[in-house]
Amino acid sequence: MLKCKDIVLAYRGKRVLNNVSVEVEPGRVTAIIGPSGAGKSSLLRCLAFIDSPASGAVTMDGDEYLASESTTFPLRTPWPEVTAVFQQFFLWPHLTLRKNISLPLELRKVKDIEIRITRLIDQFSMSDFVNRFPNEVSGGQRQRAALARALALEPKYLLMDEITSALDAVQAAAIVNHMTVLKDAGIGILMITHHLGFLRRAADSIVYMQDGEIVEAGGKEILDIPATPELKTFLSAFNSLENSNTPRQGEPR
Amino acid sequence: MGALDIIAAYPRAFFNGLIVTIQLALTVWSTGLLFGFLLGALAAGRPGSYGRIVSLFSFLLSGLPLLVLLFWLHFPLQSMLNVVIDPFITAAFALSIVNVFAIADIVKGALSDFPTQYVVAARVAGLTPRETLLHIKTPILFRQLIPVLLMLQVTMLQATLFASLISVEEIFRVAQRINAQVYKPVEIYTALGIFFLLVCLPINGIALWLKVRFTRNFSES
Repeated sequence: MLKCKDIVLAYRGKRVLNNVSVEVEPGRVTAIIGPSGAGKSSLLRCLAFIDSPASGAVTMDGDEYLASESTTFPLRTPWPEVTAVFQQFFLWPHLTLRKNISLPLELRKVKDIEIRITRLIDQFSMSDFVNRFPNEVSGGQRQRAALARALALEPKYLLMDEITSALDAVQAAAIVNHMTVLKDAGIGILMITHHLGFLRRAADSIVYMQDGEIVEAGGKEILDIPATPELKTFLSAFNSLENSNTPRQGEPR
Repeated sequence: MGALDIIAAYPRAFFNGLIVTIQLALTVWSTGLLFGFLLGALAAGRPGSYGRIVSLFSFLLSGLPLLVLLFWLHFPLQSMLNVVIDPFITAAFALSIVNVFAIADIVKGALSDFPTQYVVAARVAGLTPRETLLHIKTPILFRQLIPVLLMLQVTMLQATLFASLISVEEIFRVAQRINAQVYKPVEIYTALGIFFLLVCLPINGIALWLKVRFTRNFSES
Protein backbone atom coordinates (compact mmCIF):
# COMPACT_ATOMS: atom_id res chain seq x y z
CA MET A 1 0.00 0.00 0.00
CA LEU A 2 1.13 3.54 -0.76
CA LYS A 3 0.16 5.97 1.95
CA CYS A 4 1.07 9.26 3.45
CA LYS A 5 0.49 10.26 7.05
CA ASP A 6 0.27 13.73 8.55
CA ILE A 7 1.99 15.37 5.59
CA VAL A 8 2.84 19.03 6.02
CA LEU A 9 4.18 20.95 3.05
CA ALA A 10 4.90 24.65 2.79
CA TYR A 11 6.00 26.87 -0.10
CA ARG A 12 7.56 30.20 0.79
CA GLY A 13 6.20 30.08 4.30
CA LYS A 14 2.64 29.25 3.23
CA ARG A 15 1.26 25.84 4.19
CA VAL A 16 -0.16 24.10 1.16
CA LEU A 17 -0.70 20.74 2.89
CA ASN A 18 -1.72 20.57 6.51
CA ASN A 19 -1.55 17.14 8.20
CA VAL A 20 -2.90 15.28 5.20
CA SER A 21 -3.20 11.48 5.27
CA VAL A 22 -4.21 9.42 2.24
CA GLU A 23 -4.01 5.75 1.30
CA VAL A 24 -3.69 4.22 -2.14
CA GLU A 25 -4.58 0.55 -2.06
CA PRO A 26 -3.53 -1.97 -4.72
CA GLY A 27 -6.36 -2.68 -7.12
CA ARG A 28 -8.37 0.38 -6.11
CA VAL A 29 -8.87 3.86 -7.50
CA THR A 30 -8.65 6.75 -5.05
CA ALA A 31 -9.83 10.04 -6.49
CA ILE A 32 -8.98 13.48 -5.16
CA ILE A 33 -11.27 16.37 -5.91
CA GLY A 34 -11.34 19.96 -4.80
CA PRO A 35 -11.09 23.53 -6.02
CA SER A 36 -7.94 24.99 -7.56
CA GLY A 37 -5.28 25.69 -4.95
CA ALA A 38 -6.61 23.00 -2.60
CA GLY A 39 -3.22 21.22 -2.58
CA LYS A 40 -4.21 18.24 -4.74
CA SER A 41 -1.20 18.36 -7.05
CA SER A 42 1.14 19.05 -4.11
CA LEU A 43 -0.17 15.93 -2.39
CA LEU A 44 0.36 13.91 -5.56
CA ARG A 45 3.95 15.17 -5.81
CA CYS A 46 4.62 14.10 -2.20
CA LEU A 47 3.13 10.66 -2.82
CA ALA A 48 5.26 10.36 -5.97
CA PHE A 49 8.36 11.22 -3.91
CA ILE A 50 9.01 14.28 -6.07
CA ASP A 51 8.63 16.83 -3.29
CA SER A 52 9.84 16.21 0.22
CA PRO A 53 7.35 17.40 2.82
CA ALA A 54 8.40 19.32 5.92
CA SER A 55 6.97 16.65 8.18
CA GLY A 56 5.01 13.44 8.01
CA ALA A 57 5.77 10.12 6.40
CA VAL A 58 5.19 8.45 3.06
CA THR A 59 5.11 4.66 3.14
CA MET A 60 5.26 2.29 0.20
CA ASP A 61 4.72 -1.42 0.85
CA GLY A 62 6.10 -1.15 4.37
CA ASP A 63 9.13 1.01 3.50
CA GLU A 64 8.72 4.23 5.38
CA TYR A 65 10.19 7.45 4.06
CA LEU A 66 10.24 9.78 7.02
CA ALA A 67 10.27 13.36 5.97
CA SER A 68 11.72 16.34 7.67
CA GLU A 69 13.65 19.36 6.52
CA SER A 70 16.94 17.62 7.41
CA THR A 71 16.07 14.26 5.85
CA THR A 72 16.60 13.47 2.23
CA PHE A 73 14.75 10.51 0.89
CA PRO A 74 14.49 7.90 -0.42
CA LEU A 75 17.06 5.27 0.56
CA ARG A 76 15.57 2.76 -1.89
CA THR A 77 14.52 4.34 -5.16
CA PRO A 78 10.71 4.11 -5.30
CA TRP A 79 10.45 4.76 -9.05
CA PRO A 80 9.10 3.40 -11.28
CA GLU A 81 7.18 1.16 -8.82
CA VAL A 82 5.33 4.36 -8.15
CA THR A 83 5.05 6.64 -11.14
CA ALA A 84 3.01 9.64 -12.19
CA VAL A 85 1.29 11.16 -15.19
CA PHE A 86 1.02 14.91 -15.09
CA GLN A 87 -1.50 17.32 -16.46
CA GLN A 88 1.17 19.01 -18.59
CA PHE A 89 2.33 15.64 -20.01
CA PHE A 90 6.08 16.32 -19.53
CA LEU A 91 6.95 14.34 -22.64
CA TRP A 92 10.59 14.67 -23.62
CA PRO A 93 10.51 16.98 -26.63
CA HIS A 94 13.60 15.65 -28.41
CA LEU A 95 12.22 12.11 -28.62
CA THR A 96 9.37 10.67 -30.64
CA LEU A 97 6.36 9.43 -28.69
CA ARG A 98 7.52 5.86 -29.28
CA LYS A 99 10.96 6.65 -27.90
CA ASN A 100 9.37 8.50 -24.96
CA ILE A 101 7.63 5.26 -24.07
CA SER A 102 10.52 2.91 -24.76
CA LEU A 103 13.52 4.83 -23.33
CA PRO A 104 12.92 4.03 -19.63
CA LEU A 105 12.42 0.37 -20.56
CA GLU A 106 15.57 0.27 -22.70
CA LEU A 107 17.62 1.77 -19.88
CA ARG A 108 16.28 -0.84 -17.46
CA LYS A 109 17.05 -3.53 -20.06
CA VAL A 110 13.51 -4.85 -20.06
CA LYS A 111 13.23 -7.87 -22.36
CA ASP A 112 9.78 -7.62 -23.90
CA ILE A 113 9.87 -3.94 -24.84
CA GLU A 114 8.35 -4.29 -28.30
CA ILE A 115 5.52 -6.48 -27.03
CA ARG A 116 4.66 -4.02 -24.27
CA ILE A 117 4.81 -1.01 -26.55
CA THR A 118 2.82 -2.61 -29.35
CA ARG A 119 0.12 -3.60 -26.85
CA LEU A 120 -0.11 -0.05 -25.51
CA ILE A 121 -0.09 1.47 -29.00
CA ASP A 122 -3.05 -0.74 -29.87
CA GLN A 123 -4.87 -0.04 -26.61
CA PHE A 124 -4.59 3.71 -27.01
CA SER A 125 -4.94 3.75 -30.82
CA MET A 126 -1.62 5.50 -31.28
CA SER A 127 -0.27 3.75 -34.37
CA ASP A 128 -0.94 6.74 -36.64
CA PHE A 129 1.13 9.20 -34.63
CA VAL A 130 3.47 7.27 -32.34
CA ASN A 131 6.52 8.04 -34.49
CA ARG A 132 5.95 11.78 -34.33
CA PHE A 133 7.50 14.27 -31.92
CA PRO A 134 5.40 15.67 -29.05
CA ASN A 135 5.03 19.07 -30.73
CA GLU A 136 3.63 17.43 -33.84
CA VAL A 137 0.57 15.87 -32.20
CA SER A 138 -2.56 17.14 -30.43
CA GLY A 139 -3.01 17.56 -26.68
CA GLY A 140 -5.13 14.44 -26.45
CA GLN A 141 -2.55 12.40 -28.36
CA ARG A 142 0.22 13.69 -26.09
CA GLN A 143 -1.83 12.76 -23.05
CA ARG A 144 -2.34 9.23 -24.32
CA ALA A 145 1.39 8.92 -24.96
CA ALA A 146 2.17 10.18 -21.44
CA LEU A 147 -0.21 7.62 -19.97
CA ALA A 148 1.27 4.88 -22.16
CA ARG A 149 4.79 5.84 -21.01
CA ALA A 150 3.72 5.38 -17.39
CA LEU A 151 1.85 2.14 -18.01
CA ALA A 152 4.74 0.64 -19.98
CA LEU A 153 6.70 0.73 -16.73
CA GLU A 154 4.13 -1.62 -15.19
CA PRO A 155 4.05 0.32 -11.93
CA LYS A 156 2.46 -0.89 -8.71
CA TYR A 157 1.06 2.56 -8.04
CA LEU A 158 0.00 5.05 -10.66
CA LEU A 159 -0.66 8.66 -9.76
CA MET A 160 -2.50 10.79 -12.30
CA ASP A 161 -3.05 14.52 -12.28
CA GLU A 162 -6.01 15.62 -14.40
CA ILE A 163 -5.24 13.16 -17.16
CA THR A 164 -8.61 13.51 -18.86
CA SER A 165 -8.42 17.28 -19.20
CA ALA A 166 -7.18 17.21 -22.81
CA LEU A 167 -9.17 14.20 -23.92
CA ASP A 168 -12.42 14.18 -25.80
CA ALA A 169 -15.39 12.19 -24.47
CA VAL A 170 -14.59 9.06 -26.47
CA GLN A 171 -10.96 9.03 -25.37
CA ALA A 172 -11.95 9.69 -21.75
CA ALA A 173 -14.35 6.75 -21.90
CA ALA A 174 -11.51 4.59 -23.22
CA ILE A 175 -9.36 5.65 -20.26
CA VAL A 176 -12.16 4.76 -17.84
CA ASN A 177 -12.35 1.32 -19.38
CA HIS A 178 -8.60 0.99 -19.13
CA MET A 179 -8.79 1.88 -15.42
CA THR A 180 -10.80 -1.27 -14.85
CA VAL A 181 -8.10 -3.34 -16.49
CA LEU A 182 -5.44 -1.66 -14.34
CA LYS A 183 -7.48 -2.21 -11.19
CA ASP A 184 -7.91 -5.86 -12.05
CA ALA A 185 -4.15 -6.09 -12.55
CA GLY A 186 -3.75 -4.95 -8.94
CA ILE A 187 -2.39 -1.48 -9.68
CA GLY A 188 -3.19 1.10 -7.03
CA ILE A 189 -4.39 4.32 -8.66
CA LEU A 190 -4.64 7.82 -7.33
CA MET A 191 -6.17 10.36 -9.61
CA ILE A 192 -6.97 14.01 -9.48
CA THR A 193 -9.91 14.87 -11.65
CA HIS A 194 -12.70 17.35 -12.17
CA HIS A 195 -14.63 14.90 -14.32
CA LEU A 196 -17.63 13.77 -12.24
CA GLY A 197 -18.66 11.16 -14.79
CA PHE A 198 -15.17 9.74 -14.63
CA LEU A 199 -15.38 9.64 -10.82
CA ARG A 200 -18.69 7.84 -10.76
CA ARG A 201 -17.46 5.21 -13.19
CA ALA A 202 -13.93 4.59 -11.99
CA ALA A 203 -13.38 5.69 -8.38
CA ASP A 204 -13.58 3.40 -5.36
CA SER A 205 -12.95 6.12 -2.81
CA ILE A 206 -13.10 9.87 -3.03
CA VAL A 207 -11.20 12.48 -1.05
CA TYR A 208 -12.34 16.10 -1.06
CA MET A 209 -9.62 18.66 -0.33
CA GLN A 210 -9.82 22.36 0.35
CA ASP A 211 -7.18 24.81 1.57
CA GLY A 212 -4.57 22.09 2.02
CA GLU A 213 -6.74 19.89 4.20
CA ILE A 214 -8.95 16.87 3.71
CA VAL A 215 -12.48 18.04 4.36
CA GLU A 216 -14.37 14.87 3.51
CA ALA A 217 -13.56 11.36 2.38
CA GLY A 218 -15.66 8.31 1.58
CA GLY A 219 -17.07 6.17 -1.18
CA LYS A 220 -18.89 7.35 -4.32
CA GLU A 221 -21.96 8.07 -2.20
CA ILE A 222 -20.43 11.34 -0.98
CA LEU A 223 -20.98 12.72 -4.48
CA ASP A 224 -24.75 12.30 -3.96
CA ILE A 225 -25.00 12.82 -0.20
CA PRO A 226 -22.13 15.09 0.87
CA ALA A 227 -21.73 15.40 4.64
CA THR A 228 -19.93 18.72 4.72
CA PRO A 229 -21.18 22.10 3.49
CA GLU A 230 -17.85 22.62 1.68
CA LEU A 231 -18.30 19.56 -0.54
CA LYS A 232 -21.97 20.38 -1.00
CA THR A 233 -21.08 23.87 -2.26
CA PHE A 234 -18.32 22.48 -4.49
CA LEU A 235 -20.60 19.87 -6.03
CA SER A 236 -23.49 22.23 -6.60
CA ALA A 237 -21.18 24.69 -8.34
CA PHE A 238 -19.79 21.85 -10.38
CA ASN A 239 -23.16 20.40 -11.27
CA SER A 240 -24.54 23.75 -12.35
CA LEU A 241 -21.48 24.20 -14.56
CA GLU A 242 -21.88 20.73 -16.07
CA ASN A 243 -25.61 21.24 -16.60
CA SER A 244 -24.98 24.49 -18.42
CA ASN A 245 -22.89 22.58 -20.97
CA THR A 246 -24.54 20.62 -23.71
CA PRO A 247 -24.09 16.91 -22.97
CA ARG A 248 -21.57 15.35 -25.28
CA GLN A 249 -22.17 12.04 -26.96
CA GLY A 250 -20.29 9.17 -25.38
CA GLU A 251 -19.36 11.09 -22.25
CA PRO A 252 -18.72 8.71 -19.39
CA ARG A 253 -21.33 9.22 -16.67
CA MET B 1 44.38 42.14 -62.75
CA GLY B 2 41.43 40.39 -61.17
CA ALA B 3 40.95 39.11 -57.63
CA LEU B 4 42.18 35.63 -58.51
CA ASP B 5 45.23 37.05 -60.29
CA ILE B 6 46.19 38.96 -57.17
CA ILE B 7 45.80 35.85 -55.00
CA ALA B 8 47.89 33.93 -57.54
CA ALA B 9 50.55 36.65 -57.45
CA TYR B 10 50.89 36.58 -53.67
CA PRO B 11 50.05 32.98 -52.72
CA ARG B 12 52.49 32.71 -49.81
CA ALA B 13 51.38 35.98 -48.23
CA PHE B 14 47.69 35.06 -48.47
CA PHE B 15 48.39 31.55 -47.23
CA ASN B 16 50.33 32.85 -44.21
CA GLY B 17 47.59 35.35 -43.45
CA LEU B 18 44.99 32.61 -43.70
CA ILE B 19 46.98 30.40 -41.32
CA VAL B 20 47.21 33.21 -38.75
CA THR B 21 43.46 33.89 -39.06
CA ILE B 22 42.69 30.20 -38.58
CA GLN B 23 45.08 29.95 -35.63
CA LEU B 24 43.49 32.99 -34.03
CA ALA B 25 39.96 31.71 -34.63
CA LEU B 26 40.78 28.25 -33.31
CA THR B 27 42.36 29.74 -30.18
CA VAL B 28 39.36 31.97 -29.57
CA TRP B 29 36.86 29.19 -30.27
CA SER B 30 38.55 26.55 -28.11
CA THR B 31 39.24 28.78 -25.11
CA GLY B 32 35.78 30.31 -25.39
CA LEU B 33 34.01 26.97 -25.54
CA LEU B 34 36.09 25.36 -22.80
CA PHE B 35 36.12 28.17 -20.26
CA GLY B 36 32.75 29.54 -21.32
CA PHE B 37 31.06 26.21 -20.63
CA LEU B 38 32.88 25.81 -17.31
CA LEU B 39 32.10 29.34 -16.19
CA GLY B 40 28.49 29.06 -17.39
CA ALA B 41 27.97 25.79 -15.51
CA LEU B 42 29.56 27.30 -12.41
CA ALA B 43 27.38 30.39 -12.70
CA ALA B 44 24.22 28.31 -13.08
CA GLY B 45 25.19 26.19 -10.08
CA ARG B 46 25.97 29.21 -7.92
CA PRO B 47 23.70 31.94 -9.25
CA GLY B 48 24.29 34.15 -6.21
CA SER B 49 28.07 34.43 -6.45
CA TYR B 50 29.53 33.24 -9.77
CA GLY B 51 26.27 33.89 -11.57
CA ARG B 52 26.32 37.57 -10.70
CA ILE B 53 29.97 37.92 -11.68
CA VAL B 54 29.34 36.34 -15.08
CA SER B 55 26.29 38.51 -15.66
CA LEU B 56 28.21 41.65 -14.67
CA PHE B 57 31.20 40.90 -16.93
CA SER B 58 28.96 39.90 -19.85
CA PHE B 59 27.03 43.12 -19.41
CA LEU B 60 30.20 45.25 -19.27
CA LEU B 61 31.83 43.50 -22.24
CA SER B 62 28.68 43.80 -24.33
CA GLY B 63 28.92 47.56 -23.93
CA LEU B 64 32.64 47.78 -24.69
CA PRO B 65 33.69 47.98 -28.36
CA LEU B 66 36.14 45.21 -29.20
CA LEU B 67 38.40 47.70 -30.91
CA VAL B 68 38.74 49.75 -27.73
CA LEU B 69 39.49 46.63 -25.70
CA LEU B 70 42.16 45.54 -28.21
CA PHE B 71 43.82 48.95 -28.29
CA TRP B 72 43.68 49.31 -24.54
CA LEU B 73 45.26 45.90 -23.95
CA HIS B 74 47.88 46.50 -26.64
CA PHE B 75 48.99 50.05 -25.91
CA PRO B 76 48.12 51.64 -22.52
CA LEU B 77 48.14 48.44 -20.47
CA GLN B 78 51.46 47.20 -21.81
CA SER B 79 52.91 50.67 -21.38
CA MET B 80 51.65 50.84 -17.79
CA LEU B 81 53.04 47.39 -17.00
CA ASN B 82 56.18 48.10 -18.98
CA VAL B 83 55.94 44.85 -20.93
CA VAL B 84 55.82 43.96 -24.60
CA ILE B 85 53.45 41.16 -25.54
CA ASP B 86 53.14 39.54 -28.95
CA PRO B 87 50.12 41.16 -30.70
CA PHE B 88 48.80 37.71 -31.58
CA ILE B 89 48.61 36.82 -27.87
CA THR B 90 46.97 40.16 -27.06
CA ALA B 91 44.39 39.69 -29.80
CA ALA B 92 43.74 36.07 -28.83
CA PHE B 93 43.31 37.12 -25.19
CA ALA B 94 40.93 40.00 -25.95
CA LEU B 95 38.77 37.98 -28.33
CA SER B 96 38.80 34.98 -26.00
CA ILE B 97 37.65 37.07 -23.04
CA VAL B 98 34.70 38.35 -25.06
CA ASN B 99 33.92 34.83 -26.30
CA VAL B 100 34.26 33.21 -22.86
CA PHE B 101 31.81 35.57 -21.18
CA ALA B 102 29.36 35.50 -24.09
CA ILE B 103 29.33 31.68 -24.04
CA ALA B 104 29.18 31.59 -20.24
CA ASP B 105 26.13 33.85 -20.30
CA ILE B 106 24.39 31.67 -22.91
CA VAL B 107 25.22 28.43 -21.05
CA LYS B 108 24.18 29.90 -17.71
CA GLY B 109 20.83 30.97 -19.16
CA ALA B 110 20.19 27.59 -20.76
CA LEU B 111 21.06 25.68 -17.58
CA SER B 112 19.14 28.00 -15.26
CA ASP B 113 16.05 27.99 -17.43
CA PHE B 114 16.13 24.26 -18.13
CA PRO B 115 12.55 23.00 -17.80
CA THR B 116 12.59 20.93 -14.59
CA GLN B 117 9.47 19.03 -15.60
CA TYR B 118 11.53 16.91 -17.98
CA VAL B 119 13.79 15.90 -15.10
CA VAL B 120 10.76 15.14 -12.92
CA ALA B 121 9.34 12.96 -15.70
CA ALA B 122 12.66 11.14 -15.90
CA ARG B 123 12.71 10.58 -12.13
CA VAL B 124 9.26 9.06 -11.96
CA ALA B 125 10.10 6.90 -14.97
CA GLY B 126 12.94 5.39 -12.95
CA LEU B 127 15.87 7.06 -14.71
CA THR B 128 18.96 7.55 -12.56
CA PRO B 129 20.49 11.05 -12.32
CA ARG B 130 23.27 9.92 -14.68
CA GLU B 131 20.79 8.56 -17.22
CA THR B 132 18.76 11.74 -16.94
CA LEU B 133 21.85 13.83 -17.63
CA LEU B 134 22.89 11.66 -20.56
CA HIS B 135 19.57 10.99 -22.25
CA ILE B 136 17.39 13.94 -21.30
CA LYS B 137 19.26 17.04 -20.14
CA THR B 138 22.27 16.94 -22.46
CA PRO B 139 20.35 16.34 -25.71
CA ILE B 140 17.82 19.05 -24.90
CA LEU B 141 20.55 21.52 -23.91
CA PHE B 142 22.54 20.57 -27.01
CA ARG B 143 19.58 21.40 -29.22
CA GLN B 144 19.10 24.71 -27.46
CA LEU B 145 22.74 25.76 -27.42
CA ILE B 146 24.35 24.59 -30.65
CA PRO B 147 22.64 26.98 -33.09
CA VAL B 148 23.27 30.00 -30.86
CA LEU B 149 26.88 29.02 -30.21
CA LEU B 150 27.60 28.40 -33.90
CA MET B 151 26.32 31.84 -34.82
CA LEU B 152 28.40 33.40 -32.05
CA GLN B 153 31.52 31.61 -33.30
CA VAL B 154 30.93 32.97 -36.81
CA THR B 155 30.79 36.45 -35.29
CA MET B 156 34.04 35.75 -33.46
CA LEU B 157 35.69 34.61 -36.69
CA GLN B 158 34.65 37.86 -38.33
CA ALA B 159 35.94 39.76 -35.30
CA THR B 160 39.46 38.38 -35.90
CA LEU B 161 39.74 41.11 -38.57
CA PHE B 162 40.14 43.66 -35.80
CA ALA B 163 43.44 42.01 -34.85
CA SER B 164 44.96 43.64 -37.95
CA LEU B 165 44.68 46.99 -36.15
CA ILE B 166 47.26 45.92 -33.58
CA SER B 167 49.57 44.50 -36.28
CA VAL B 168 48.60 40.84 -36.20
CA GLU B 169 49.53 39.44 -39.61
CA GLU B 170 46.18 37.84 -40.27
CA ILE B 171 44.47 37.74 -43.65
CA PHE B 172 42.95 41.23 -43.53
CA ARG B 173 46.29 42.82 -42.70
CA VAL B 174 47.93 40.84 -45.50
CA ALA B 175 45.26 42.14 -47.86
CA GLN B 176 45.89 45.70 -46.68
CA ARG B 177 49.63 45.37 -47.24
CA ILE B 178 49.21 43.93 -50.75
CA ASN B 179 46.72 46.67 -51.54
CA ALA B 180 49.31 49.24 -50.47
CA GLN B 181 51.63 47.82 -53.14
CA VAL B 182 49.25 47.19 -56.08
CA TYR B 183 46.36 49.49 -55.16
CA LYS B 184 43.51 47.24 -56.30
CA PRO B 185 41.12 47.70 -53.35
CA VAL B 186 37.99 46.47 -55.15
CA GLU B 187 39.57 43.20 -56.29
CA ILE B 188 41.45 42.54 -53.05
CA TYR B 189 38.58 43.21 -50.68
CA THR B 190 36.17 41.35 -52.97
CA ALA B 191 38.45 38.32 -52.75
CA LEU B 192 38.53 38.72 -48.97
CA GLY B 193 34.76 39.03 -48.86
CA ILE B 194 34.35 35.87 -50.91
CA PHE B 195 36.73 34.04 -48.60
CA PHE B 196 34.71 35.00 -45.51
CA LEU B 197 31.44 34.20 -47.25
CA LEU B 198 32.75 30.74 -48.17
CA VAL B 199 33.76 30.05 -44.57
CA CYS B 200 30.95 31.77 -42.66
CA LEU B 201 27.90 31.02 -44.76
CA PRO B 202 28.05 27.23 -44.40
CA ILE B 203 28.45 27.55 -40.60
CA ASN B 204 25.58 30.04 -40.45
CA GLY B 205 23.55 27.75 -42.65
CA ILE B 206 24.15 24.79 -40.35
CA ALA B 207 23.23 26.92 -37.34
CA LEU B 208 20.03 28.04 -39.02
CA TRP B 209 19.14 24.50 -40.05
CA LEU B 210 19.76 23.20 -36.52
CA LYS B 211 17.73 26.05 -35.07
CA VAL B 212 14.75 25.40 -37.32
CA ARG B 213 14.91 21.65 -36.84
CA PHE B 214 15.52 21.46 -33.11
CA THR B 215 13.48 24.44 -31.99
CA ARG B 216 10.52 22.81 -33.67
CA ASN B 217 11.08 19.60 -31.81
CA PHE B 218 11.79 21.33 -28.53
CA SER B 219 8.44 23.06 -28.26
CA GLU B 220 5.61 20.99 -26.82
CA SER B 221 2.92 23.46 -27.61
